[in-house]
Formats: sequence, structure tokens, C-alpha cells
Amino acid sequence: MSAHVSPIRLAERSALLATLLARVALADQRAFEELYRHTASHLYGVALRIVRNTSIAEEILQEAYVNVWHHAGTYNASKSQPLTWLTSIVRNRALDQMRRREVDAASLTREDDDGDAEFPMDAPTAVEMLIAAADAREVRDCVETLDAATKQAVALAFFHGLSHGELAGHLRVPLGTVKSWIRRGLDKLRRCLEAAPPAS
Amino acid sequence: MNLSRPDRQERLVRLAAEFALGTSPPRVRRRLQAIALHDRAVADALSAWEQRLTVLAEQVAPVTPPPRVWARIVSRLGIDTNASPAAGTTHWWERLAVWRSIALASVALIVAIGIYDRSRSPVPAAGPIVVVLAGADAKPALIATASRDERFITLKSISNTAPAPGRVFELWALPPGNPPRSLGVIPPGDIVTVPLSLPAREALTNVPSLAVSLEPPGGSTTGQPTGPVLYSGTVERMY
Repeated sequence: MSAHVSPIRLAERSALLATLLARVALADQRAFEELYRHTASHLYGVALRIVRNTSIAEEILQEAYVNVWHHAGTYNASKSQPLTWLTSIVRNRALDQMRRREVDAASLTREDDDGDAEFPMDAPTAVEMLIAAADAREVRDCVETLDAATKQAVALAFFHGLSHGELAGHLRVPLGTVKSWIRRGLDKLRRCLEAAPPAS
Repeated sequence: MNLSRPDRQERLVRLAAEFALGTSPPRVRRRLQAIALHDRAVADALSAWEQRLTVLAEQVAPVTPPPRVWARIVSRLGIDTNASPAAGTTHWWERLAVWRSIALASVALIVAIGIYDRSRSPVPAAGPIVVVLAGADAKPALIATASRDERFITLKSISNTAPAPGRVFELWALPPGNPPRSLGVIPPGDIVTVPLSLPAREALTNVPSLAVSLEPPGGSTTGQPTGPVLYSGTVERMY
């Protein structure tokens, strides 16, 4: 799994990105370019995993940065980490896109479309990522409180943007079961994470 | 649905968690996004859950996006990051070498496969000066042609190229070592002409390339491109 990122490096990176965002809010084009250099591959990876199509992921990335250029001033450093803020923008766009496609082509399953073979959607990898992420954030215990099925459902939903319906299809369980796994899982995570200090 | 009511706190937390996780159905997603615009409690609940869950995304392996993504962002925003002094003194019209070489390669192909189809052109026959204007993605967008003795350039759109609403395309000559010179606003339409004050052979003397910028109605008032340069290409003199 990927290397543990030390808290110091995280803090430094956050400070750098926050400064860049502040400069972008003042229409500083070089800061914008630097912000892109530091964040594009992470955000592209996030988008690609969800939409599993390079041209759609590129489109999402492009839209997200255009948005960031126009709205960098709305970033509030006291409310969220810069990378979290940027990642939310990309995730939300990617998820909106997936849901739209789902509505457009309700009869098509995700496996039928031109998913990118480089990013296979498999539960073990997603679960590993979830645990590794939790590890990096020292909230491993929270993720560990989830049972295997819930962990799998949460990981697939988070990293691959599967909806309740898609999860039910993918995991071959009834919709109601998936919903209650997710509901219970999120509830457990929340209580556990609230007990731990928020990641910063 | 007033999600801010205290007795609905539980429900709000659950909806916000599912929103951040990404499992909410489309209708619920849209609804929550809309409500969050004016309801602070809902906005805070969504953002709290995004904070909690988005950190998990840091584990996703980074993937370098292709360079065209940045090129498109820059072109969409009409910004020029290389224009800032610290980045050097190169002007945008001197950085077209890459596009030029790609566009050059497309000329022969386009002429050969007959995308430029003179027989169907409603305007007078154009002649042996050809410019393929391509965007940053190197895809040909417009073909400009002119007869050397005629006082107009014919432009044909080959990829449904049209300016954004309320904007116009303006055509520029790019003489080396000199600032761009406007050749005029490009009228709307698939096949149009831009009048020249001199015969094309003279108007395009010492002009190795042309470019198209996005401008306010009526064209740039500064004498220089004010909007993004969307397309450019090398002037080819056909024999």
C-alpha cells in the first residue's frame, strides 16, 4: 500500500495549498498553475476511479479547476483542509455525473460501458484503501469496527461512486440490505470519528 | 422538508453522510445541494461529512492527467500563465511552434481527403493560400483559404466551431517579432469571408501564421487580442 504520509508533510502541504488558493482568489495565474501542478494528479486519480472513463474524468477535472479559478475566494481555511475542499469539488462532480448517467441509461449496467480496465472496480482493493486511509489518519479502529460486508459496501461506494442500487447489484444482495449496511456503517463511523479529533 | 428542525437532526445526519459517501439517489443529491444553498444547518451537515470522508480519498493512487487538460483549462479561462513576468518574456504568439507543426501536418491530409470542398462553397473560388487553424488540442477547427490576388479570406468551420454566445471570433495575422495585426472579425456561419484591405498576397506578406481569438461583439477595441487565442495555424502557400 502507499506510504504513510507524515503529519508534518501534511501540514506543510496544507499550508502551501492554502496560500496558493488565497493567491488564486486574487487572480494570480502563476499560483493557479502551481496549484494545478500540486493537485491535478491526485484529483484526476479520484475522478478516474469513480467515473472509470478517461475522457469524462478529464472533463470533470477541467470543470473543477475552472470552478476553482472562479471560486477560490469561497475557500474557508478554518473550515476545511485545502485538499479536502478540492477533492470534494471533484468528487461531487464525478458523483453527479455518475448519477446523471444512471438516470440517462437506467437499463445499462456499469460493466457494459467503457470502463477503464486500468481501474478495475474490485472490493478487496477498495477495502484495502479504506483501511490504509484510516491508518494514515490514525482512525483505523473506526474502520475496524465495521463488519466485513459493511466495510466492503462503504469502500465500494466511496472509492467507486456506486449508488445503493449499483452496490446491491455488484454485491448480489437485496437493496434493503445494502441500505442498512451503509446506514449502520456510516453511523458507526460517525460515532467513532466524533470521538477522535477531526483530521487536520 | 425542513431538515433543520431539531427533531429531524438524525435524518439530516444520515442524509448528509450518504451524500458525502456518494450513495444518495440522484433526486436526493440534487435536493440536498439545492437546500444547502440557503440552509446553513444543511450546508454544515454536508460539509462536516465531506470533511470526515474526503480524507479517505487521499489513499487513491494519483494519476497524471494528460497535458491537454491544463491546455483546455487555460483556454477556457482565457488566462495565460506564461505571460507573468517571472515566467519569462515569451509572448503567446511566439509560443505557437508546436501547434504550427501539428497543423502543418494536417494540411496535406485535409486537402487530400477533401474536407476543404471548394465545389460546394457558396463563395467565390478561393485559391492557393491555405491555413489550418487548430486549437490547443491540435484538432483542426477552421480552414482559411485565399487567392493571392483576391481581397478576402474564406473561412470554413470544420468542427462546428462557434464563439460563445455574445462573443465573436477575430482573425489575426502574426508577423514574427511584431504584435498581432487584426484582419477583422469573423462573421458567424460555416463558410464566411473576411475582407482584406489589400490582395491576400500582400496582406499576408511576412505572415507565417494566423490566429483566432475570442472577443467582445465588434472585436477587440485595443488593437490586440483581449480574449483567449483559441486557434492558430501556419500560412501555407500552395503551388
